[in-house]
Amino acid sequence: MHDTPLIGPYSPDDVLALEPDGPRTARQFVSDVARLAESLPDRLTVINLATSRYEFLVGFAAAILRRQLTLLPQSRAVQTLRRIAGDYPECYALTDRDEKIDGIESVAMQQRQGLAPWPDEIPLVPLNQVVAIAFTSGSTGQPMPNKKTWGALTAVAHATGSRLGIKIGDRASVVATVPHQHMFGLEASVMLPIMHGLVMHAGRPLFPADILSALADVEGRRILVTTPLHLRACMTEGVRMPPVGLILSATAPLSQGLAQEAERHFHTEVHEIFGFAEAGSVAERRTTVGDSWRPLDGVRLQSSERGWTVETDYLPAPVLVPDRMSVDAQGLFVVHGREADQINVAGHRVSLGDLNQKLLEVEGVQDGVFFLPEEVSDFVTRLMAFVVAPGKTSEEIQRALRTHIDPVFLPRPLVCVPSLPRNATGKLPQESVRELARQWLAGQGHGT
Amino acid sequence: MSEQPMFEHEVATLIVQTLKLKIDPATIQPDAALFGDGLGLDSIDALELSLAISQTYGYQLKSSDPDIKAIFSSLRALANAIVKNRTK
Repeated sequence: MHDTPLIGPYSPDDVLALEPDGPRTARQFVSDVARLAESLPDRLTVINLATSRYEFLVGFAAAILRRQLTLLPQSRAVQTLRRIAGDYPECYALTDRDEKIDGIESVAMQQRQGLAPWPDEIPLVPLNQVVAIAFTSGSTGQPMPNKKTWGALTAVAHATGSRLGIKIGDRASVVATVPHQHMFGLEASVMLPIMHGLVMHAGRPLFPADILSALADVEGRRILVTTPLHLRACMTEGVRMPPVGLILSATAPLSQGLAQEAERHFHTEVHEIFGFAEAGSVAERRTTVGDSWRPLDGVRLQSSERGWTVETDYLPAPVLVPDRMSVDAQGLFVVHGREADQINVAGHRVSLGDLNQKLLEVEGVQDGVFFLPEEVSDFVTRLMAFVVAPGKTSEEIQRALRTHIDPVFLPRPLVCVPSLPRNATGKLPQESVRELARQWLAGQGHGT
Repeated sequence: MSEQPMFEHEVATLIVQTLKLKIDPATIQPDAALFGDGLGLDSIDALELSLAISQTYGYQLKSSDPDIKAIFSSLRALANAIVKNRTK
């Protein structure tokens, strides 16, 4: 296995990132990474919680040079971090300057003084070095680790760039609304720019007005890495944006209508990425052209007894796709929805079995089930839960749940019911839960 | 328990309706945290809430506002910010 450079084709004075107080050149970046790498504690794993995308990248790169694994928690919720820290007891958290995480040794990013000289050679990283672990939710309730090699991250960055027509050194700027600790965020807003010599905006704009000012901050061709939720918010607000050269959306399927509206509003093409934490980005489509996904170069789909799998040179073994899909003779595919147990809320995938298990573990809960309504909306559809817990209020159960599951999966609403419609064999058919939800929503005046 | 003045109640109702919370708006404590430990709202809620506020009151929230953390800290702070910045 050979080694490849930590960053793509930058000259020392090329801008690599844009922080609120000014640009960071490639020279500054290489110096920042070297200085931080010297000061990191001697450990195997690190949870990188830097808020700034640039600081995250500095921490990620420094950890790579020290052969430390960066853990990518599904959320920043303290209970999630503690759960992961429990599984990796020697890990530490790399945090913003003034932040401390209770119960996890925290190392603050330090102010780095001065500039180290530009090295003769950009540091090299072995393609087979495991550099990150992304977590997914298994039906057992334990987070499942997915190892990411340097080779996998760089291969996906190059394949995505070539599919989207991003040229090495074309000096485009990437503005992203997605978190950099999320798999898609890491691939599209961190690895994609640094492998192509692009400028990365260090912020993470949330509100439409923030997205506008982040886009206005950068020069050259603008690439917006975002989600259907943020696009819908921009349309709803009707904020006039500076010209955008390309929009890349992921984490939830984009509707045809919103994609068309976004292409008109931003005067650009909207492309979507299909991927999942176990394999990373695997396919792309321009939504307005059709439903079919085209696998990225080097991605092969194979049919197996358990469903479709993804095979690539950089994955150690075939990876099962968590969705039901059909593949045509050209290798293009259409996705029909998640496998029964798997659901996705705001880009976070979870096993319903796992959530139900956690619900049943709450003291006083006799029976309970989570349900994801099938709403057609470009906003985030939240889970509902029906719970049998005599003597408990829904607030009490919510409070208990909050310590066990990620906030994004907390039910809206949690409805207390006298019993669940289990059948004679004690099973709870999905159809019965759907009917229960329909009746409840109708009773609330939300039904249609 | 302190009582919600009328406008705070209006904003509390907007929060409950926008975010589909199954609570009585009158029970939101004016000084309690909306995010994190309080109502347990997250950044998706912040975005949806900001759109509702913009459409209802013509006030566009911005993260770069130095007071943004304070504005979202409680029902009372949010209601006060809307009163100060509303254009409709």
